This record gives sequence, structure tokens and C-alpha cells, in this order.
Amino acid sequence: MPAIELRAATKRYDTGGEVVEALSGVDLAVERGEFVSIIGPSGSGKSTLLNLLGLLDSPTTGGVWIDDSNVTDLTDEEATLLRREQVGFVFQDFYLLPTLTAVENVTVPTVFTQGPPATDRAKSLLSRVGLADRLSHLPTELSGGQKQRVAIARSLINNPQIVLADEPTGNLDREIGTSILDELRRITDNGVSVIAVTHDELVNEYADRVVELVDGVWQ
Amino acid sequence: MIRQYVDATRFPAVFMAVRNLSRSRLRSGLAGLGILIGVVAIASLGMFGNVLSLGADDALGDIGNQVIVTPNADGGIDTIEESTVTDIRRAIGDTPAVPLRTGGGLVEYGGASTATTIYGIAEPAAVYTAADGRVPERHRQGALVGASVAEQLDVRVGATITVDGQTHRVVGILEEVESFSPFSPNDAVMLPEDAVGDGSGYDQVTIEANSGEEAAAAAAAIEATVNDREERVDIFELSSITDEIGSFFSLLNSFLLGLGGISLLVAGVSILNVMLMSTVERREEIGVLRAVGVEKRDVMRMILVEAALLGVIGAAGGVVVSVGLVGLLYLFAPVDLWILLHPTNVLYLLLAFTIGVAISVISGLYPAWNAANERPVDALRS
Repeated sequence: MPAIELRAATKRYDTGGEVVEALSGVDLAVERGEFVSIIGPSGSGKSTLLNLLGLLDSPTTGGVWIDDSNVTDLTDEEATLLRREQVGFVFQDFYLLPTLTAVENVTVPTVFTQGPPATDRAKSLLSRVGLADRLSHLPTELSGGQKQRVAIARSLINNPQIVLADEPTGNLDREIGTSILDELRRITDNGVSVIAVTHDELVNEYADRVVELVDGVWQ
Repeated sequence: MIRQYVDATRFPAVFMAVRNLSRSRLRSGLAGLGILIGVVAIASLGMFGNVLSLGADDALGDIGNQVIVTPNADGGIDTIEESTVTDIRRAIGDTPAVPLRTGGGLVEYGGASTATTIYGIAEPAAVYTAADGRVPERHRQGALVGASVAEQLDVRVGATITVDGQTHRVVGILEEVESFSPFSPNDAVMLPEDAVGDGSGYDQVTIEANSGEEAAAAAAAIEATVNDREERVDIFELSSITDEIGSFFSLLNSFLLGLGGISLLVAGVSILNVMLMSTVERREEIGVLRAVGVEKRDVMRMILVEAALLGVIGAAGGVVVSVGLVGLLYLFAPVDLWILLHPTNVLYLLLAFTIGVAISVISGLYPAWNAANERPVDALRS
């Protein structure tokens, strides 16, 4: 049973009279613990695909399935809760909150939920990605690679099944990019599926599978 | 620093809001300053108006509660008969009516003398209180001396004064009456009834009601019964005039509050502007919050709390400044302390504070709604 699936997903945008089809009937099944790299030129529909997988957007036709249940047409609230529990995000620009420390940034997905603070778990996640001595640093006091590690720790705070990475090495040099990919590779050992969208050839060396998207269809 | 004192797990929206506000302190400070000025405008203008109105009330005193009945001189009647007094008392029920005789004459004591009004009064205790000595329930002998006369002649209780050629022992000095009154006792000497005039009839009946309404009702009752067949008396009653003065001050007060309200409205617009700018700048951050599973209502709450915090801080500052301004008023203007400390002034402070916070929250509604409802896909598309 795949952790997450796209079934014949099509996405059309209406851009002022002209309808653009970003994805045309795309199928994708990602197993537990699998690292899939999605490559393709700009405008090929990679970002749209990632938005569908991340429940940030719904396909025009076709469906999204997580653990064999259909999550295509959830309400905004349902999708938000499912994102919180099942999906972690890692962005090219890290997108840490500048006013929060490393630990606080990692706990952000849990801050507005009931229950005890996730601070201890955040600390252990930060230690796991090698930032045990940077816990109360603000993002401005961290390097790019350190910020991306904080972002990876944040993506794992709720024990998600899936981590979506949008150009995770895009703003990092090769050496630091390698260490980030090591981290992503390592989380798949715990059964987490990683789906990375990238231009970076380096990512493909770490992926179990590389698929290429061109003009909204698999190549 | 404040950040340590906010518990992220119990008040996450407050925690996030405090962090966001402390990021751009100058802008937050200026927005709070706008609310501060608005609150000062409402609170101080409201309190100044209130102080004016309370001061005027105090100066007018109980004049609105008095009814003065005099003989109808135009009808050729020059005294109020005993029977008319009985009719008046019957008409007004329990409200005390004090008949008195008036005259004028020279008061002498220790070689000094002054011309005063002389009242013959049987029951002075119903209307006057003593500053020294006592005011008898039934005035049979002795003189009560008004405050100004006592000061002028340096008269004390127990002294013997000569009024119109007759000697009287002083049994009481009357308390000074500060309020405006057509029949001020300050420049008068009160004697027993029989010592003034020719011993029959009265020159005036003073009715002391407990309120303006009661005074108006008493005046109407006298008009309807005592003056029923014949215009026996003239009735002088001021409650309608004091009512008009009262309504003038309440109009003045609403006008001042309206002025303050406008400045608070301007402050509200500045909060709206600041919050809108700040949410537009944080568009991506808010998009990330939504992407990682923060719900719309939590984003909305967080931004509303930011606006509310600006409002609370600004309004609290405004209350402090307003209290300071009222303190200056006490130092530099002839205002009684009790008027400044009157509970209604606190009411204006509370009102201004509440309106200040409410306007901030209302101004935060649109930016909060706007930010919470943006789709994370759109916010994160660079």
C-alpha cells in the first residue's frame, strides 16, 4: 500500500480567459520509506504536483490518496489537520519564523494544538540533525545549512508519513547540500517517504527513484 | 524582556503576537501611540466636561430644589396669612415649608455696625445648619448670625448684639452657603418670628424639596390649590432653569466626547494600516504557518491579539497620561479635589480605555481575516 498516491491528477488554471493545464492525468505512487526525486524544467508542473501532494491545492480532476483513503476534496480545516499530522514541508528558502529560536521554530506546528509542549521532542530532533548547540539561536544567527536542518526538524515534529522537499538544496553549496540530503535519506530509514522536487542532479544520487515531468506529463 | 513571561503552550496566540510586535518596535510603538492619543482625547475631554458640569452643579447647589413663595404684590396682597401657610403645607404634604418675615436694619456689636437683612424664622433648622453654636428646632429667643456678618463684626456665640435697637444673644453662627441663591443667609441675621415685623403674616415661605422634580411638583401643587380661586401668592421655582443648565452641560460633554472619538477613529485607521502592512510583509510566514498545519482561526486569533495588544498598551498609556493631565488641572485651575476624584471621572477613564481597545480589535479584524484566508499556495508562490 503506497503512503501517498496521485491518481490521474489533472490541474488546470484559468489565467484570464486562457486555460493552462499544469498537470495532465498524472499518476504517482510513493511507498513508505521511499525517496523519490522529481525533476523537470521550469513550468513543467513540478510545483503544482508538490502542492497537490501536500494538500495545499486540489486537482481539477483525479484524486489524491493517503494510506488508501481519498483526501482529494477535504475542507480547508480537514486538509490543515491532515497536513499537520501527516505531511512535513521543507522549502528552498527555509521559511523559518525570524522571531523564533531554533527550538521554537521546530515546535511551530504543535504550538496551536492541545496537549503538552513538544519542546523536548524538538530538542532531540535538533540534536539528531547536529544542532544540539544551536537550540536557542535565532535564524539570523544560523547558516543556510543550519537553517535547512532546523526546517527538516520542523517537518518531522509530528511524526509525519511524508516529507515534501521543494528544492531543498537550491540555496546551499554542494558540500552542505550533501549533508542535507544525508539527513533526508536518513529519515526514510524510519519509514518516512521523501518526495523532493529539484533541479539539482545531486539529489538524484540519493533518491531511490527519479521521475521527470515535462509539460505536465511523465517523460 | 517580556518574551520570557508569555507561556507558549497556554496562550500560543499571545506568544506569537508578542514576538511579532517586538520585531518592529518603532512601528508598533507608533501605532500604540495613536491609540494613546485617542484615549487621552476621549478621557481628558470627557473628564474636563464632567468636571465643568460637576462644578456648575456644585455652584448652583440646591437652588433647583427650592421653591420660594411670596405674596402676590401685583394683586395688592402684601403678606402671606397664617391660613395661606396652612394651605401651602396641605398642598405639598411632607416637604418642609418654612415661613419667614423679612426686614432690614442695623446690627451693632462692639462699636462696629453693618446693615443687614433680618429674617424672622420659627423653624430655622429645616433650612440652615450651624458652623458654631446651634440652630434650634423652634426659634424662641436669641439670634443666628450669617457667616459674612459674623466675620465682619467679629461676633462669636454667646455675644450680645443689637439688632434694630433691640439686644439679642447670639446662639449660633450659620454655616457659610457657597452656592448661588436668591436668598443668601450669609449677609443676614435670623431672629425669632415675633421679633420681626408687626407680628402677623409672613413675607416669604421657603420650601426645601429633595430634588428638582419634587420642587417642581410642589410648585405645581401650590399653583393648583392656593392660587385656585385667587392669585394669592407668587411662586418662584428654579428647577426648570437648573434642568436647562444640566442639559447644556450634557450636550457640551457629548460634543467633547465626539471630538475625542474622532481622534480615536483616526488611531483606529492607523492600527488598520499597520496591521495590514505587517500582514502583507509577513505573507510568506503566514503561508508557512498555514502549510505546516496552523488553522485559519489560529492565524486570525494571533493577528487579532497583536491588534488588541497594541490597543491595550496604547490605551493603558492613555489612561496614565489622562490622569496626569487631570492632576495638572488640579494644580493650575481652581477645581475642588472631590470633583476630580468623583467616580464619574473614573467612568470616563474606563470608557476611553474600553473604546480604545475595542477600536484596535475592530481595526485588526480585516487584516486578520485577510491573512487567515489567503491560500498558502498563493502566499508561498514567489
